[in-house]
Amino acid sequence: MDNHSESRRAEDRLAGHGVDDPFAAAVRASRMAMVVADAQKADSPIVFANDAFLRLTGYERDEVIGRNCRFLQGPETDPEAVAALRQAIAGGEDIAIDLLNYRKDGSTFWNALYLSPVRDDAGEVVYFFGAQLDVTDKKAIEFRARDHSDGLQQAVDDRADELSKALEQKTALLHEVDHRVKNNLQLISSLLLLQNRRVADPALKASLKGMLGRVNAIATVHRRLFQSEDVERFDVSAFIRDMVADLMGSTARDDIEVGLDLERVDIPASKAAPFALVVNELLTNCVRHGFPEGRGGRILISVRRQNGDFRIEIADDGVGFDKDAKPSGFGLTIVQLLCQQLKAKYETADAEPGARVVVLLPVNGAH
Amino acid sequence: MSPRTLDVLIVEDEMLLAIELEHLVEEVGCHPAGLAMSSEEAVALAQSLQPDLALVDVHLSDGPTGVDVARKISSDCGGVALFMTANVKRLPEDFAGACGVIGKPYSEHGVKTALSYLAFCLTEGHVPGPVPVGLTLAPAYAALWGLGEALPESA
Repeated sequence: MDNHSESRRAEDRLAGHGVDDPFAAAVRASRMAMVVADAQKADSPIVFANDAFLRLTGYERDEVIGRNCRFLQGPETDPEAVAALRQAIAGGEDIAIDLLNYRKDGSTFWNALYLSPVRDDAGEVVYFFGAQLDVTDKKAIEFRARDHSDGLQQAVDDRADELSKALEQKTALLHEVDHRVKNNLQLISSLLLLQNRRVADPALKASLKGMLGRVNAIATVHRRLFQSEDVERFDVSAFIRDMVADLMGSTARDDIEVGLDLERVDIPASKAAPFALVVNELLTNCVRHGFPEGRGGRILISVRRQNGDFRIEIADDGVGFDKDAKPSGFGLTIVQLLCQQLKAKYETADAEPGARVVVLLPVNGAH
Repeated sequence: MSPRTLDVLIVEDEMLLAIELEHLVEEVGCHPAGLAMSSEEAVALAQSLQPDLALVDVHLSDGPTGVDVARKISSDCGGVALFMTANVKRLPEDFAGACGVIGKPYSEHGVKTALSYLAFCLTEGHVPGPVPVGLTLAPAYAALWGLGEALPESA
């Protein structure tokens, strides 16, 4: 059978009119490559191909007619795309898919294929209509964009890697510095303890003990500082709990009971040491002046938020303030100076019985 | 409580800390049996002295070898090690066989309380009460000395 005449007959059947029909002429002359395959013949052979299809693929008409469309596929054609195409054909469905196809000369092009079944009045698929568009240029841009995006992803991954290494180094450095600070505080405290063992003068001993208490307060801060996950914040209540245990333990005053009423309050780590020193002075002072040897009692320490302040109160039922004595001493100087530094207000009141001191530390850093 | 006198080995490369520590050990009624500054000295002394307790710093004169020292002491020398370090978080999870850790910087009162507490545990085989501030027990020893059981009773 003559392929040409077969093809021509198929055209005629498709158009439903003669060769002079404007519709058939349009299909023949279209710049869009088009083929028609006979669905009712074995392996659906091509029965019509327009000139645009022949130009696109490089084949002659007689090399195309009678063959299944798959001759356009080659080794680099994506098997998954081919499988999708087969499934659409088997199911009698439309499909639009990009396929890598091969010309007669072996060169490749990206074919944006649109394939749809053509049904007769009874609903039977009689033809497949295929329209092909060369989208090689569009694909090239797509691939370049994908490469570019892969490159960007790589750059992002590299950068993230660098940053996590830098963070690791920073963390290691932080640990190292933290370690040295703690060891040096330990050294200072041991020096003071050793010297304290050697001196006999009670006044000098008291001075050394005072300094030791201050160093201990700072040491307690540093033990606490890196225990939480957030190295920027300092847990005031946890600190006070530790400090009271240590300070009251070392005074060995079982006749003084300390009550704690502590709300969870954080201050910036940078304020932790001066704050600790203030609390240490106030509490030491409270024990020393409020409860002379043999005079027991109760101390209540509370921490809570009040308006825009953290309110730290130390109240006792000791002997109270000596109204005639002028407040003086190094401890008080420390409290005054550091409260000034912390922008904190410091108030004392006679509690009758006992005394009460209140420190108001601004939450946002200023009064 | 008056536990028997424990022999305590101090493993610390800072001489001033070590000497002060000896005083504290004596003050709680223990006997400072020896002082080592390197891991080699520490293991040799632990083997010859067979101390009841070894206070072990992690960073010694020959590097961060304290962890190995603690492991060796608890496995070979019949004694119990206790870490004293500024880097509590860097200790292995099993405490290398040590019974616990005192974080640096410790205070005079903190160490004395912890040592008295441990002396009681070592002689009596159980904790006298809740763990004092500044001391952390290794999970294995907390279980051995019945820390979980002792707490509700004392509370």
